[in-house]
Amino acid sequence: MFSRAVRPALRAGGAAVARPTPANAATFATLREIEGRLKSIKNIEKITNTMKIVASTRLTRAQKAMDESRVYGQTSNTVFEQAETKPLEDKKTLLVVASSDKGLCGGIHSGLTKATRRILAENPNADIAILGEKAKAQLSRAAPDNIVLSFANVCKDIPTFADAQAIADQIALLPENYASVRIIYNSFVNAQSYEAVSIEAYSEEAITQSANISSYEVADEALSSLREYALANNLFWAMAEGHACEISARRNAMENASKNAGEMINKFQILYNRQRQATITGELVEIITGATASEDM
Amino acid sequence: MSSFRFARSALRARPSFLGAPVQRRGYAEAVADKIKLSLTLPHQTIYRSTGVTQVNIPAASGDMGVLANHVPSIEQLRPGLVEIIEESGSTKQYFLSGGFAVVQPDSQLSINAVEGFPLEEFSADAIRAQVAEAQKIASGSGSEQDIAEAKIELEVLETLQAHVK
Repeated sequence: MFSRAVRPALRAGGAAVARPTPANAATFATLREIEGRLKSIKNIEKITNTMKIVASTRLTRAQKAMDESRVYGQTSNTVFEQAETKPLEDKKTLLVVASSDKGLCGGIHSGLTKATRRILAENPNADIAILGEKAKAQLSRAAPDNIVLSFANVCKDIPTFADAQAIADQIALLPENYASVRIIYNSFVNAQSYEAVSIEAYSEEAITQSANISSYEVADEALSSLREYALANNLFWAMAEGHACEISARRNAMENASKNAGEMINKFQILYNRQRQATITGELVEIITGATASEDM
Repeated sequence: MSSFRFARSALRARPSFLGAPVQRRGYAEAVADKIKLSLTLPHQTIYRSTGVTQVNIPAASGDMGVLANHVPSIEQLRPGLVEIIEESGSTKQYFLSGGFAVVQPDSQLSINAVEGFPLEEFSADAIRAQVAEAQKIASGSGSEQDIAEAKIELEVLETLQAHVK
C-alpha cells in the first residue's frame, strides 16, 4: 500500500534529477518544453474541432428526428390534456431519466441529475429508472436506494421507436404499480440552450379517474393498451429530444474548446517566439563578449 | 368586414344542417365542417392539423368513418387501411401497422401509428415473400416468442395483402 503511494513521488523526483534546469531559465519554461506544450494543444484543437464538425453534421439529423417525435408525442398527449388527467396523489411515482452514455457535452447530464434530485427532494419515495451510464453514475451517488432499473447503450444514435418500446416493456414489467411515470429529459429550447423538464405518462387508474374522460367513448380494454402505447410514445419523444440536446450541447462544448485552444496556441506561440529571441540574444551577447575579451588579450 | 365573412360562412354551413337534428351550436363549431387531422408516425408527420372532409379508420371495434363533430372517442387501431378524403375531394390511402386514433371534442382527430406508408408504395411481390417467411417461422419450432411474433407479422401482412393488388 505504502510503496504504491510513494512511487509517483519517487518517479517525480527522478525526473527532476534527470533534467537539470539551466541556470538562466530558473523561472521560465525552457524552449523545448513550450514547444512540446504548443504541439499538444494544437493536437487537442484538432480533435475538438473534428468532434465539433461531427456533431454539427449529426445535429441536423437529430433535430429533424426531434421535430417529428415532438409532433408525435404531442399528438399522443392531446387526449390526456383534453381529459384533464392528473397523477394520483397516494401512489408511487417512477422517474425515468433520459440521459446517455457519453460525456464531453457540457452540463447535459448534470442538469438532468439536478432536476431529478429536486424532484426527489419533494417526493423522496419515488423510484428511478435510468437510461444511460452518465446519469446512473451521478445518481447512484445521490440516491442509490431509489434506483430500480437502468439501461446502458441507449440513446447512442437517433433513437428508434423499437428502443422506446423495449424500454417501456421493461418498465411495465416492474413489480410496483406506479401511479404515474415521469420522464425527465432535456427539452431543446434553441441551439444554445436546453432545459430539464418532465412529461407524465399516467397509469390506467389515473386515466379512468381523470375529470373529463367521460366525454370520450372508450372501450375498457383499449385503455390499458393506450396507457402502454402512451408510455412508449413519451419515452420516444423524450429520448429523441434528449439526443438532439446532447448533440447540440456537444457541438457547443467542442466549439468553445476549440476556441480556447486557439487562444492558448496564440499565447504560447508568442511566448515561444519571445523565449527563442531571448535565447538568441543571450547567445549573441555571450559570443560577442567572448570575442571582445579574446581581442583584448 | 369580419361579420360579413361570418355571415357568409354561416350561409354556406347551413345546408349541411338541414338533415341533422337541431342542436345549439356556436359559430366556431358550425363553421367547422371539416375535421382537423393529425396523422403522425414516430419518424414522420404525415398530417399536422390539416383540415380534411372524412377519415375512414380500421378501429379494433370495426371500421369507422369519422366526419366533423364526431363523438369524442378513443379507438385502438387494427393494422389496416386509413382512407383520408381531403377537402379537394381526392382520396389518400395509408396502410398503418396499428396504433391509436383519438377523436377530440373540438373536431380534431389525432392518429398515432407505429409505422405507416402510402398504399401505392408497397410491392405485392415483397409482401408475398415475407408472408411465406413468416408462415415458415410461425409453423416452425422456434421459441414461443418467435412464433408469437411471426403470427403478428402474418396478421399484418395478410391484411396488407388484401389491400394491395
